[in-house]
Amino acid sequence: MTNNEMNLIPEGQPIGYVVGGGLKANLFVRLTVPADKVQEGGFVVLESGNWQFYGLVTDLQLGASDPRYAEMPAAGRLSPTVTRLLKEQTLYTNLEVLPALMLERGPEPGAPDYEAWARAHQNENTPRPLPIKTVPGHHALARLASAGDVAEIFGTPDEKGYFEIGRTREQDHPVCINLDKFVQRSSGIFGATGSGKSFLTRIILAGLIQHNAASVLVFDMHNEYGFDDTASDTGQAVIGLRSKFPSRVRVVGLGRKSSIRGKTPDLTLELRDSDIQPEDIELLARELNLRETTSTTLDALVHHFGAANWFGKFREMSIGSMVEDDEGKKVPAPGSVAFWANQAGVNVAAAEGLRSKLTRVFNRPYLLHEEGAGDPLKEVIEALKAGQHVILSFGDYESDLDYLLVSNLLTRRIREAWEDSTNEFRAHGKAEPRPLVIAVEEAHKLLNREMAAQTSFSTIARELRKYYVTLLIIDQRPSQIYDEVMSQLGTRVSGWLGDENDVAAVLSGLAGRDALRGMLARLQPKEEVLLLGWGVPMPILVRSRRYDQKFWDDLLPRNSRSVEQNIKDLGF
Amino acid sequence: MTSIAIGRLLRANTAGCVMGCQVSPQEAPAFGQMVRIPLEDGSQVFGLVHEIHIDDDGLVRQLAGSTNLSDEIIADNRKNRNMPVEMSVAFIGWQSGITLSQTRPPRPPLSLDKIFPCSDAEVAAFCASGRFAYLRMLLRNEELPAADLLTAHLRQVRAAGGADLENALREMIALLKDDYPQLMDLLSAVSEVVE
Repeated sequence: MTNNEMNLIPEGQPIGYVVGGGLKANLFVRLTVPADKVQEGGFVVLESGNWQFYGLVTDLQLGASDPRYAEMPAAGRLSPTVTRLLKEQTLYTNLEVLPALMLERGPEPGAPDYEAWARAHQNENTPRPLPIKTVPGHHALARLASAGDVAEIFGTPDEKGYFEIGRTREQDHPVCINLDKFVQRSSGIFGATGSGKSFLTRIILAGLIQHNAASVLVFDMHNEYGFDDTASDTGQAVIGLRSKFPSRVRVVGLGRKSSIRGKTPDLTLELRDSDIQPEDIELLARELNLRETTSTTLDALVHHFGAANWFGKFREMSIGSMVEDDEGKKVPAPGSVAFWANQAGVNVAAAEGLRSKLTRVFNRPYLLHEEGAGDPLKEVIEALKAGQHVILSFGDYESDLDYLLVSNLLTRRIREAWEDSTNEFRAHGKAEPRPLVIAVEEAHKLLNREMAAQTSFSTIARELRKYYVTLLIIDQRPSQIYDEVMSQLGTRVSGWLGDENDVAAVLSGLAGRDALRGMLARLQPKEEVLLLGWGVPMPILVRSRRYDQKFWDDLLPRNSRSVEQNIKDLGF
Repeated sequence: MTSIAIGRLLRANTAGCVMGCQVSPQEAPAFGQMVRIPLEDGSQVFGLVHEIHIDDDGLVRQLAGSTNLSDEIIADNRKNRNMPVEMSVAFIGWQSGITLSQTRPPRPPLSLDKIFPCSDAEVAAFCASGRFAYLRMLLRNEELPAADLLTAHLRQVRAAGGADLENALREMIALLKDDYPQLMDLLSAVSEVVE
């Protein structure tokens, strides 16, 4: 028998009764079972009259009817029986419960008014959980949520679109997220390093791919998600998404000679000079240490050479080359940056400085300098539109410069494509765009306060829900992400966070954040996550699923796969 | 039900009474013992002996000052003394027909009513008839030596069997938990009885 099993309270057994509180100050429940039977984050149900209230334990407080009972142990002075009885009545534990939802349950079946109530609440009038609007009465009984309660609120894995993300900690009931709802708004997975973010992300991505309600694009900075990998801490094999969904997932490698975990990607992504726009460069301001004059210089370049050619032309310009004019005076040579700057009326030093700093970009091996080499970006976008899922692995290009440049550029193109498709759908009745989820690792590098205004990501997080594109932000420093973006996140899944600012950022804009703050800071360092936000009916603490063979066996039961699917998965 | 009276009532009110009895080691009720006083209308009142008082008189004073007192003289003085032994009783309930109540009686017994010790069955029946509500009357009465009285009473209840002493203790704790010193005095005393 495990410790967990020993601690189980029989289903339905009351654990206490309401003694006070309110909507603002949370509810207080006097425990009638030993304090160690209930833990912070426990999902409790309070039964009061015709209503059932659902809440989350946010604190446990020891109390005494007189402090002297707590301060002076009676064991040495009184007999064991008397000591026990004294403790029962003078020392207690109060639960602080954050009430979240209420559900009308009606009279007891068999009661005189039950029939009338049941008739009035059939079909579309069936009571559904509502945000909390009132409080249970004094002495309303509290109990730990049963499997039925959890299913009532979070759905069951058997329902279409519901995906088990973990289980309640005490009673081990499955907790699901509604994937259709999950993809409707941007979401975030947060946690300190080593808290299992990557595994959790794999689990959610696998659920999204299997459910197939949206295409998924993963910016895989560290080459973790596509092919099989080895866990850095345990050394065990980690199955890649491509291995399990060979017909649905395409691994795209950055650069012509890319090799991901020793394997060749399905597609290769290379960028053309004409793909790069001034905003892609402005995004790199911090990385390249660009000056404030950059925007002016870039504007002049675009104005002078056009949006498709400015980058190539600027790359071809030389720095410092001089020629003698007719009077023997040294002047900038044609084809030099200074020559162009003088022509365009741009500060020469600023232009030369920018050209010099952009050398790092010009030298990226995955940049194609010749035209007519196809449009790999378009291929990726077409694959996503066609319902494929793309994992863009950065291969050996793991620097921030590569990540920022490529992910922003691709996202900008996606944004344009999806906006066009949506407008076509709305204006001309063409096919509805397929929802797209863009998973972004190290999101704070793209969505921090300085950059958020310049990247496509912040626009997506704030506005592109209407255009069927949402973000899945994966980050360990949520406090570094722009507040406006954080406040737009629908579903938030957070593992342990050590920094107070990060905790506050994850909870920003949510009701009851003060009560949840401590809980988030005290999560187990691994495999415990707090689900919260618009995408889940109420906050709940879960033991996240393990990303192992059992997970895959549950997700992809062998006998449920059609012959056609198996053939497809084999690559035919 | 025993029919041997142990004394007669001297004075009473609805909270308690004082009875007078002869000194007899075998028959004299003990401190904390539960007694009953049948009334003329068929009802009876229950109480606990909370004080036993032996007053002197002129003869006892003379005898106490003399030498060579024989055993016969001492026994004669005790049995036939002018001043009876006085025992104070705190009422804890009453019975009318089959109704047992753990509250004060509607009216006090009258003088010279007989007083009987309760049998084990009567003690058990009385305790089982309620939720030890009578403890309230004993604990709220500052004149009573509550800790010792209840310890003696619980000892009798335990000997009588049939009643749940833990419930009695729960009631005592509930009544006194806001008075830490008194509750701890009480509980340290009753710890002798409830291990």
